[in-house]
Amino acid sequence: MSAWNLRDKSAVCGVGQSVYGRRLERSPIDLAAEAIRAALNDASLERDDLDGLIVSFGTPIGADADTLAHALGLKLKLYNQTWAHGRFTASCIQWAAMAVSAGLASAIACLAAVSFSGYRKPMMGGAGDSEGGREGGGGHGEDPVFGMTSPGAGAALVAQKYFSTFGATSRQLAAVAVAFRKHAALNPAAIMRAPISADDHQKSPFVCEPLRLLDYCLINDGAACVIVTTKERARDLRKPPVYISGMQGLPAGREEFIWTYPGFGVSQQGAFDYEPGLQPVYRMAEVTPADIDALFVYDAFSILVWTALERFGFCGRGEAAAFTQDGRIALGGALPMNTNGGLLSEAHVMGWNHQVEIVRQLRDECGERQIVDAGVIQWANAYGDSLIYHR
Amino acid sequence: MGEYTKPLPAISSLNRPYWEALKRRELVLQRCAACSKVWYPPAPCCPLCWSRDWSWQKLSGRGRVNSWVVFHRAYFSSFAPEVPYNVAEVELDEGPRLLTNLTEVDNAKIRVGMAVEVVFAEATADVTLAKFRPTARRV
Repeated sequence: MSAWNLRDKSAVCGVGQSVYGRRLERSPIDLAAEAIRAALNDASLERDDLDGLIVSFGTPIGADADTLAHALGLKLKLYNQTWAHGRFTASCIQWAAMAVSAGLASAIACLAAVSFSGYRKPMMGGAGDSEGGREGGGGHGEDPVFGMTSPGAGAALVAQKYFSTFGATSRQLAAVAVAFRKHAALNPAAIMRAPISADDHQKSPFVCEPLRLLDYCLINDGAACVIVTTKERARDLRKPPVYISGMQGLPAGREEFIWTYPGFGVSQQGAFDYEPGLQPVYRMAEVTPADIDALFVYDAFSILVWTALERFGFCGRGEAAAFTQDGRIALGGALPMNTNGGLLSEAHVMGWNHQVEIVRQLRDECGERQIVDAGVIQWANAYGDSLIYHR
Repeated sequence: MGEYTKPLPAISSLNRPYWEALKRRELVLQRCAACSKVWYPPAPCCPLCWSRDWSWQKLSGRGRVNSWVVFHRAYFSSFAPEVPYNVAEVELDEGPRLLTNLTEVDNAKIRVGMAVEVVFAEATADVTLAKFRPTARRV
């Protein structure tokens, strides 16, 4: 029995975003509406053409899908939302791709909206963080009774282990923040555009040591939306289709600690020499890492860039520290990454701002930060999920 | 000693024996009778072989620092007086790793691989925490 082949069955036909900012004081529903309207306009679709909605980072602190459907008078036959966490970007797009391929809906708006200033004042870490109230470490690393809270703490635990195991340094990690800030400087929508140096990174204060402030993503307000439809429908619309050619699900279990790859030996993982082989996303898309023109990763913390590179085989275990030096991951380098500036410098829209950028890169719409001849772009994360898009 | 204001554990049917043992100054975890694995956090069955034939076993209380972090920010106001405070992941001799605070050590001297032993830190009348300190060198 052969698997249902989803390669190139669906495509992104429109992308849109709200303004991004640090203190917009606008509700997530308001921001989501702006992003949906922009994406519909980009796709040359009308409101009533949308029959599906998938909200990432939804209730209780993002845009609740029920409220959004009511507020905008949508007429949906398929909708869903994920809880208040950023890791479900690829999952949402995968569900949309499967749904349109199966005929369950024809055009699905997938989005996240976040407002740290305008709605419920959500916290990352501490008493206001419901996810951070989990105990025992598990797959994400919290244990509040010992003061172990905030997503950055689990990432810091991985960074410390990485430094210790491979002899890497915080100064090497600076290369990630510096490269993405360079990209943000070329992106008018980015929140943080002033250039930074490795020295600036080293002078920035520790938040959860060994991670520093410039290893941490932004906390901000904004929304971004991607509309997924069938390849046939996408070809009839205004913008060139960006095909969804490969997918890989979000793994979980005792071998997973979301800030790194299996075998890394943190939380309850085993400790072994992880070998990624050719990950399923490449087999579905019929490409290899060598074919990837640009890589986008969920860079909530700079260390996640290293663990994502090693997880997908762009370099060997322990090699990402060296791999990311000397401009290799910057525009013009061998593997440009997060050309929007990432969560570190453009905005933290749960990775949805990255999907918008990927689509624009594949349509040659990125102006000064356009990757020359970008044909195949991958979204791939330390926690193992992935998408491959092509023009 | 003033009122304890730091977060307290959510004690449930799954983890109650763990917390009750700490009150008795014992560190216990579940151990599978079928495959001998010891695991953490508490689970309804052996996460390795799915056997429900397990029991709570007293552990050595010894292990090594697997990784650690130092908080320079007070996410919980109750931790503010201790900033910068450490959180370590200790790998027990029996295998599982516990998050904990290291006591009796300068944060600057913490290292991966450092040998540590459990210290029972009474938080409230109902809750005692398993913290760890560097193990005295033995011949």
